[in-house]
Formats: sequence, C-alpha cells, structure tokens
Amino acid sequence: MQFSQKSKEHIDSCRFCWMCHHICPIGNATGLERNTARARALGLSLVTREAIEYSDDIVANVYECSLCGGCVADCTTGWDPVMFAKEARLVAALEDKLPKYITKMIENLGTKGNIYGLDKNDDLTKLIASLKDSDTLLFLGEDATYKAPECAINAINLLKNNGVDFTVLASEPNSGFTMDFMVGAAEDTKDVMKECAKQLSKFKTVVCYDGADAKVMKREYKEWGVDLKANVVTFTEFIASLIKDGKLNVKNNGKEYTIQDSYLLARDLEETEPVREIISACGKVNEMLLNRKGTMLAGHLIMNEYMPKAIEDVAKNRWTNAINMNAKIVVTANTAEYVMLKKTKPEGVEVKTIEEVVAECL
Amino acid sequence: MTDFLFDMIATELEDAVGKENCSTRPIDKITHSVDYFWLSRMWADRGLRMPEGDFIVAPKDAKETSAVLKIANYYKIPVTTWGAGGGTQGGAIPVAGGIVLDTKRMNKIYDFNEQGMYIECGTGAIYKHIELAANERGYATMHYPSSLTCSTVGGFLAHRGIGVSSTKYGKIDDMVLQMEVVLPNGDIIETSPAPKHAAGPDLNQIFIGSEGTLGVMTKAQMRIYDQPESRQFRGFLFHNMTDAFNAARELLQKFKPSVMRLYDEAETASLIKKIVGVEKKGAFMNIAIEGVAEMVELEKKILLETFGKYGAEDLGPEYGEKWWKEKITFFYPGHMMDIPQCFGTMDTIAPYDKIEKIYWEMKKAIETNFPQAKFIAHFSHWYEWGCMIYDRFIVDGKDVPRDPHEALRLHQEIWSCGVRTALANGGVVNDHHGVGIKLGRLMKEQYGPAMQVFEGIKKQLDPNGIMNPFKLGL
Repeated sequence: MQFSQKSKEHIDSCRFCWMCHHICPIGNATGLERNTARARALGLSLVTREAIEYSDDIVANVYECSLCGGCVADCTTGWDPVMFAKEARLVAALEDKLPKYITKMIENLGTKGNIYGLDKNDDLTKLIASLKDSDTLLFLGEDATYKAPECAINAINLLKNNGVDFTVLASEPNSGFTMDFMVGAAEDTKDVMKECAKQLSKFKTVVCYDGADAKVMKREYKEWGVDLKANVVTFTEFIASLIKDGKLNVKNNGKEYTIQDSYLLARDLEETEPVREIISACGKVNEMLLNRKGTMLAGHLIMNEYMPKAIEDVAKNRWTNAINMNAKIVVTANTAEYVMLKKTKPEGVEVKTIEEVVAECL
Repeated sequence: MTDFLFDMIATELEDAVGKENCSTRPIDKITHSVDYFWLSRMWADRGLRMPEGDFIVAPKDAKETSAVLKIANYYKIPVTTWGAGGGTQGGAIPVAGGIVLDTKRMNKIYDFNEQGMYIECGTGAIYKHIELAANERGYATMHYPSSLTCSTVGGFLAHRGIGVSSTKYGKIDDMVLQMEVVLPNGDIIETSPAPKHAAGPDLNQIFIGSEGTLGVMTKAQMRIYDQPESRQFRGFLFHNMTDAFNAARELLQKFKPSVMRLYDEAETASLIKKIVGVEKKGAFMNIAIEGVAEMVELEKKILLETFGKYGAEDLGPEYGEKWWKEKITFFYPGHMMDIPQCFGTMDTIAPYDKIEKIYWEMKKAIETNFPQAKFIAHFSHWYEWGCMIYDRFIVDGKDVPRDPHEALRLHQEIWSCGVRTALANGGVVNDHHGVGIKLGRLMKEQYGPAMQVFEGIKKQLDPNGIMNPFKLGL
C-alpha cells in the first residue's frame, strides 16, 4: 500500500492523539471507537507498518468518515485526517478494493448521471425548460436535482418570480464532488471535473446551489489545474448580494431562525457571513453553540446510501443541539442536511432552506 | 476456545446488545487494543499488535450491561471496560482478551436538573459533551482536564480524574452525586441518593477509582455550577520552589482559587516558555480566581498581598490568560511529548511537610539512575494541607531502544524507581491517572496489609475474577 510521505506523517501524528474524539459527528452518532480520527489513523498506521493487511475491514472504516473536517478544524497543531482518509480511498480504488456500495454508486454515475441511480423529477424538468438563456447559471447539483427536487424548484422559483436573470442546464454535468468523496484524486475524478468545467466555462457566473459543488469548483479544480473560466459563487453569497442590492426586497418578519452552518461553506470555503446577512434581513439570528467553523455535520446523503442509521443519528444529535439552544426554526443552506434534518425533525420545530425563509419574507 | 464455543458466545452477546453492537471485526479489536498508555503506543509504533479483545460489545444501558456480565460470568470470560481510550496507565487494555465492553453507547443525558444542579447521564458520555450541554443552558461542569474532549464520564470516575480548576471545584470524586453500577454478577445497584450522609461508608467511593475491577458504572449524576461572573488570571514568578509552596499554603488558608499551577524551573524554561511565552528564569505560577465579581476583586487583593510577602514577581494577567486559552494545547502532538520519545507522568500527592522533599528525591533518583532521562515537573492541584506533583521523565528518541522489549523494560524500570522514591518519602502510587496494569505491582508496596481490604471486596463482588484482570494490583 503506497501512501505519500505527507499522509504518513499525518497518520503517525494522529494515530495516538485523542483530542478530537468529541467532535466527530459519525463517532458521536455511532458511539464506535473505530469512528474516530485516531482509530482510523491507527489502522492505517499498522497497514503502513505491514502489521496488518489493507483488508476490506480497514477499507470499510475509511468510508465511515464524512470528510466534514470537524477534526481538522479542531486540531490545534494542524493535522489533517481528511487528507489521509481521502488518500486511503484513492489507494483502495487503485488496488481494486472499493466496497461494493461505492462501486455501485460509481456505476450509477456512469449509467444515470448521478450516484443515486435516480431519474430527474418531471416538475423540475418542466420548470428548467421554461427558463430563458442567460450568462448566469444556477448549478443545482446532484443532491437537489435527484434527492430534494422541491429545494431545486423553490430556489428556481424564488429567482424566476423576482426577475433575476439566470438559467439552469437541462442536462447538468456532474461537478465531481461525489467522485472526489468516493475515490479522491483519481484520474476518473479529474476527468469528470474537466468535463464539467468545459460545459460551465461558457457562462460568466456559476451560482452553486449546493456548497458541495462550490467547494470542488473553488478548491479541487484549482488545486488539480482544472480550468473553469466562469466566476463561481455560492447560492448564499448570491442571495445575500441580491438582498443587499435591493433586487430581493425582503421584509423582516421578526422570527428567530437558528443557523445550521454548512461545513462545506464554513470550513471548506470559509464562508460564514452571507447566511447571517440573509437571516438578519429576514428575521433574527439564533446561534448554535457549535457554529461557523466549529459547526457539526447534520446530514450526508452519500453516506446515507450505505450507513443510513448512523446518518439519521447524526441529524438527531444536531436537533438536540438546536433544541438546547431554544431553536424553533433551523435554517440550512446544505441540501443533504436539509433532507436529513427534515427526516428526523422532532415535533414543535421546523427546518427551512434559505430560499424558503427568503420567500416567506417577500 | 474452540470456534464452536466462540460462535456460541458471540450469538449470546449479540442477543444481549444487538448484532450491530457486538463486533469481532479486526478494526474494532485493534482500536480497542491501544490506549494512551505509552507501552501500547510504543508497541504499535514498532508494528506489533497489542493483546486484543475477542468480542467488542457496546451495551446501551445497565440492563444490557447486566446481560453481558452474566454471560461473561457464566463462561468465565474476562471483561475490560473501555471509555474512550484516553487513559495513560493501560487500564483499558484487554490484556487477557475476552470481552471489551465499550461504554460509549451509554451516552444519554437523562436529566438536566437545574434545581439539584446536576446532569444525570450515561457514563459513556464524552465529558466535553456534558460540558457543552451545560454551556447551552448557561452552566458549566468545571471539570477541565486536558483529556476533556477525549474521555468519558465513566473513564474519569474509573481512575479518579481531576481538572485544572480542582482547587475550587474538586476532583471528579467530589463532583458526583449518585451512581448506577452493574455488579460483576449482573445485579444493578444504585448508590446513596446523596453523597454526604451517615448511612455507612460511601458506596460511590468504593467504585470510583476501581478501574473496572469491581463492576461497571453505567449512570452518574454529575454536578454543574453557575458560570462565574468574573474569572481573572495572574501569573507570578518565584525565586525558588520553597517560597512558592509557603505562599500557596498561606493563600489556601484564606480562600480557594480555581486554578493553581506551579512549574519548576525546568518546565518554566521549556513548556511554559514555548507555549505561554515566559522568558524569565524562575518558577512560574499561574493563579485563577473566579466567582462573584466583588469577591474576585477582594481575593485578587489578598492574592497580591500574600504572594508579595514571599517575593513573587507579579507578571500580570497576560500569561495566565494565555495559559487558560492554551490549556489543552499542551497535550497535542508537537507540544506534548510523543513517540519516539519515552516518557511518563509519575504524579503523586502529599502534605506540604513532605511534598518538596518528594520532588527533590524523585528528581535525584531519576537523574542519577537514568542519566539519559530529563525530569520536569509542575504542581497543579492544591489543597489546604498539601498538593500534587505532576512530575515527568522524558527520554529522547536517540536514547530509546528500538527493540520493543528493551524499551518496555527501560520504561518500567524508570517508573518503578520514580514511584518507589515517592512512596519512600510519603507519597502515593498515583494522584489522578490511576494504576492500570502499569502500576498494579506497586499497590501492595503502598498499602501493605491494607491491600486485603481491596482484595476482600474484589473477591466478594467478583469471585470469578473476570473484571479487568491484572489491573489495580487485584
């Protein structure tokens, strides 16, 4: 098993360190010792020392990480369990050791254009067909298109009904986020990204509805030399600027909204304020105790395909955090978190997307 | 054990806790075989596998724990309880195989009781989660050890842990009201509804510190406190340790600060210089006072007057505040000692009439017998009558044998030398990290015939000797 020197260094620093034990949303949900950064590092450390094989069992554990970066953000000394977990996935792919559930999702991507193997919602298809051409593209992403079409429809209607100039592709390419999650920096991942960049480069601006797509376009594309000519902005940045410029005239309804920061926005893109600007314009902000970069994952749809119980518990744990802070309405800009929070919602509380909050304040 | 019997036991355990909560997967066995104990880490570093449990089970409550212990007793299989693996003494390592009972599924908060000022929770809860839950409602647990984020409530109770604010708020054994415990035979018991009483000896204190040898603590009521209105820090530099001890003892007859930490000259010149930025020579002491603002102001006045009498240089609040901010940073890789170094913390405690002598004798014993070892210390938990030494030996990588067997011997020899010196001068085997397998052999040396009290309790509660064998000297 070939790991880079950099990964080995991080593995050997993390394998005996327990300090981020508390922050792992998966470990907190499952209560399993193996779902900690140090346990994953210990297993891989023993593999690199040839004390154990890189067996299916160790590989499976590598896929029990959400790559949310909570541990990375929490680490005072800057070690990066996400980096070596991704590299371990790449090694698994290169050594033909991918778990069946990962192989299946990759196959789905090839045959259906999305890892879930689903068809596109008819209403969404019709709505997209009704849009005019524009040099601003709203990029919906896999999760909104296939797992939460109601979110995609709401987002499109918000912009359409308020005269915002934008379009959506009838056949949207895959951004490569899911491939990056499953096999890291593999050539196949880069090929998917290159194809996406090619199709999106004809637009002046690409507004990513899902932070996941914005994350790879703004980070991995640059890191791997994938040339995307369009200016990429997040949906939250876009909506915040429309409000600021008076193109969306919201009225403050005085309601209190509790923000569930998306790890993709807050940690990967270091974007925490646009969502607060939107909520402050629409109502009042109530903060979680673990907020901004310190946020805790509340849902993950890729992992939900192969460890649904754990992902439900992740969302339930976040509801507990929210309710402890007297939350009545939780707002999230992350599609996967919205889906899972909605699925696990206790009585007496609500979960809303950004577009839902804005729409009710127009 | 035959494959047939193994499978039979596995099905019984699966029946007790659910199939998904009973594992024989290599990854689970490996991750429960290496804890924070230096020897287990060194063993893994050398590419060797530590002794592993055969079954990793995770009960969700006392009832399921009881079922597991009944099975273990019937088949006479060892049971090692595992919290989060943050222990330094090897207490959680399944040295005899058998069942590893991971408590982390027992992480529920059952009651947040603002009237009684406690949180009732499962002992598998990570303490930081209890702290966050308290913070969300405007309270605090005031238990802040460096392992706050990586240890469970049960783990702290099992080895009598302590946090940095102990002088004001106490050790973990001062912070628990009532507990639920599963005895080795599977009986579920509750300790007294209140910790201070005259209804016989305190049952809590029999199980606290027993390191999983007498049963499994499954639920505990942990105290919470109001957040202090004011928390102020003050750093001081003493010319010598004697002045510092005298000043601290006098201060403690007047009031209790929360944090009190005195660093010897070696640690002031290394860790404190590196992390807090104190460049001057001497013994650095950090004091935190907290509570009602008016009281804090008065206590600050008394502190400055008292320490001034002993020639302490007042460094102001800056270093203390930095220390508080970085109090856990000390323990991250890159700041804390780590492999390839060989190291250990031989914390001990004694009254003021003995503590300074213990420090000098331990320093002399380590530095004389093991010239390759560096000795540094701080004094971090203080009482009206005495304090503890957090003394550490460090052998740098080049002097640490690569051969794991030789490294093990060197490590154990240094420990024996250090702890025996502490015992000979009036100290104890350990202050707050516990005993585990590392120091079990020294328990009889401390207690002598008193050890039969522990042995008698053990024999009565655990006649088959299944609970955490070879730990605590039992």
